[in-house]
Amino acid sequence: MINLIADLGSGLLGKLVRIGQALLMLLQATIVRPKASSFSRLIQQLYVVGVQSLIIILVSALFIGMVLGLQGYTLLAAYGTEQAVGQMVALTLVRELSPVVAALLFAGRAGSALTAEIGLMKATEQLASLEMFGVDPLHRIVAPRFWAGIISLPLLVAIFSLVGIYGGHLVAVDWLGVYSGSYWGNMQQAVDFNGDVLNGMVKALVFAFLISWTAVYQGYTCVPTSQGISAATTRTVVYSSLAILGFDFILTALMFGGTV
Amino acid sequence: MAIDDIINIQNVSFYRDDRAIFKNLNCAISTGKITAIMGPSGSGKTTLLRLIGGQLNPHEGQIRLFDQDIAALNRKQLNQIRARMGVLFQSGALFTDLSVFENVAFPLREHMHLSADELYNKVLLKLEAVGLRGARDLMPSQLSGGMARRVALARAVAMEPELILYDEPFAGQDPIAMAVLQRLIKDLNSAMNLTSVLVSHDIAEACAIADQVILLGEGRVLVQDTPAALQASNDPAVKQFIHGEADGVIPFHFAAPALQQELRGGSE
Repeated sequence: MINLIADLGSGLLGKLVRIGQALLMLLQATIVRPKASSFSRLIQQLYVVGVQSLIIILVSALFIGMVLGLQGYTLLAAYGTEQAVGQMVALTLVRELSPVVAALLFAGRAGSALTAEIGLMKATEQLASLEMFGVDPLHRIVAPRFWAGIISLPLLVAIFSLVGIYGGHLVAVDWLGVYSGSYWGNMQQAVDFNGDVLNGMVKALVFAFLISWTAVYQGYTCVPTSQGISAATTRTVVYSSLAILGFDFILTALMFGGTV
Repeated sequence: MAIDDIINIQNVSFYRDDRAIFKNLNCAISTGKITAIMGPSGSGKTTLLRLIGGQLNPHEGQIRLFDQDIAALNRKQLNQIRARMGVLFQSGALFTDLSVFENVAFPLREHMHLSADELYNKVLLKLEAVGLRGARDLMPSQLSGGMARRVALARAVAMEPELILYDEPFAGQDPIAMAVLQRLIKDLNSAMNLTSVLVSHDIAEACAIADQVILLGEGRVLVQDTPAALQASNDPAVKQFIHGEADGVIPFHFAAPALQQELRGGSE
């Protein structure tokens, strides 16, 4: 029993140490005066992390919006309130589904790629090589990827909401015949910019931080072997996904808990 | 420390977990010479190179590089020292997102303020020295192993360092690439007045160009001498390594209980 408690304690301490190390790494990487060349590296990473994630975000958003339109219509029509489908689709998306689903997709698409890329750089001695040239890999490799994640995800979430709402419109209005004026009008009346849209974006920002931080830390500290990189990539997706879902509950409780 | 020693390793001990990689290691590397550090796999050759480069710190003792204790330097001082040395990594370690030209230009862009023309000419001359001027627009993924190693060599000497460290430069190379690298290491060392330290277990190739050899084993320097003296040595460990004998002082078998104790149920 004592051993069990001791193991639990040392495991917990180990986790705390790793969180501390990850935080320290992040501070070392990001607290630095940017140079002109840092900007071009950031643009390059924005393309890799953000633009290249667009397709999966657009396609997923369209289908999720269409499913919401269909489900919402079926449910609301039973009570004769199908004209409210627009507000249902929009609120569901901007408050919850866009930040959470886009973040989960982003963790799978961009987070795993970041970890694998940095891990492979470590395995092929590119990080050691940078160090030997007197260039800090944290500034050169980690920082632009981290900031690219932070900037990209909120934009992708906004795009997700827009496309999702359009997907809902396609099904509810164009297919099932809900009046277009009701779809947009109810939505406009029900969705509050500060309460719903901005809170959704705050969630996106928190998720972006969690994913980017996890991805760069896992890549930078992975065991530089094929097995090590594979394990680190898996950890990025698993830890990020769990953190997204956990923090989503906390943030929802904080943002919308009082209004229930 | 002799005045002509660029590197002096004094009573260095280094451990991985509880295993001692080095225990009271002492040796010196002379300026202007090609020194080969050799030894069987796992003898700590690459670890020693990383200790010299300041990527690892010894647990005991000190490594003096350019007459400075490398472990006592702060990051800025370490970077200043590193600007005076080049490293050729075992894998080449070319930046995969940069072309051959940009890889060689990388240290110049980072540390020297050259005009575009000066930079272009300097990179071209380095690539010409390794015979790859024509490959300047290729990406690392388009190069053969030998070509990648030569580009990495051009990049390592781009800053015209005083010291260059080679980590297994001949590993995995075909005989032609090996001969080319051998010639380049020798020529660059004399033409640029370099000090070269190469870690290798390719005995013939390393001995052919080295002025002195440091043979590592059992966490210490087994012998430090000229290649000719090593070939003539009667030391059993040296003889075993130089002549590639499978078993001897350096055992063929990894430490294990007697085979009879391990076999099951009367089988033999």
